[in-house]
Amino acid sequence: MKTNCETVKNSLGAWLDGELGHADAEEIRRHVEGCPACSGERRRLERVQVALRGVLETESSRVAFEPFWDGVRRRISEERPRQARLWEWARPAFYPQRLAWAVPVAIVFLLAIFSLVQYAPGWRWGVNRGNVAAVDSIDGHGFNVAVLRESKTKTTVIWLFESQEEDDEASGEPTAKEPSF
Amino acid sequence: MMKLLESRLRRSLLFSLFLLLLSVSAHAGEKAPQGVQLSIGTILASNESDDFDAKLSKMKKQLEVIKYSSYRLVKEESQKVPWNGNALFEIPGGRTLAVMPQEYRNSRVSLKVRLQEGEKPLLDTTVRIRNRGNFLLGGPAHEGGVLILSISATVQ
Repeated sequence: MKTNCETVKNSLGAWLDGELGHADAEEIRRHVEGCPACSGERRRLERVQVALRGVLETESSRVAFEPFWDGVRRRISEERPRQARLWEWARPAFYPQRLAWAVPVAIVFLLAIFSLVQYAPGWRWGVNRGNVAAVDSIDGHGFNVAVLRESKTKTTVIWLFESQEEDDEASGEPTAKEPSF
Repeated sequence: MMKLLESRLRRSLLFSLFLLLLSVSAHAGEKAPQGVQLSIGTILASNESDDFDAKLSKMKKQLEVIKYSSYRLVKEESQKVPWNGNALFEIPGGRTLAVMPQEYRNSRVSLKVRLQEGEKPLLDTTVRIRNRGNFLLGGPAHEGGVLILSISATVQ
């Protein structure tokens, strides 16, 4: 450390408070002992410290710290509103430098959804999702036809059957008599 | 701060543009669907036993919709057909199933289906099913039970 008076004066407070390392403290001590100006500065600082300590010791007993600490404890344990916590959690995402990447991230997300729909058609949103077939037209040529859509297994069944009356007249048995579902 | 933001915005926009170009070129390279692979599974359902054919295990939940106690895969056939081409499948009992894929839109294949017995038509229908999906067509009586046809289509 360069021990000119300016440097020593800047470090005097830290030295008196014992905040300097051993080597620096020794250097300051040697300089102060040999320098009348710095020695005078040291005495002035010591007087200020003694005076401050006296005031603090006298006045601190009159300061009511308990309500202050109670307030601190209350604020620490206070439950913040959900919106405030959510905003605190999400706020970093809205930093401008991160927001700049929102555009490509949104594009990647949209492309991913588009690709999923294109290459994995089983993956659909909404009404098109699943295996449910749409029957656009149907003609049983005199036979009864039932269409069943089962939502749980996304199954569509077209069932061909003869009514009981027609069955009595029919010679053969080309279809089932009634749907069995 | 503003300069940093501008530079990041410029970089992110360039990156977006690159992604868009990549996506457009990838889709431009896609081939239009050439045809459809049609698969027909003919299943005999009856109440004569409780046997369930292990080959139908993937369809078990679908078949549970139809309340029979026994299911047996009688026949399985697959054909690749071009759009608007007619695929004919022989169904037990002297029946024929004709399937014509018509169009592919919104990931769905439109199939025109005709079931006939000899020359007599039993059913004409047009159904749109999901690519690689299926639907069931049942009802024709056969050997003490009924036939159920599982009709599926895969765009090639």
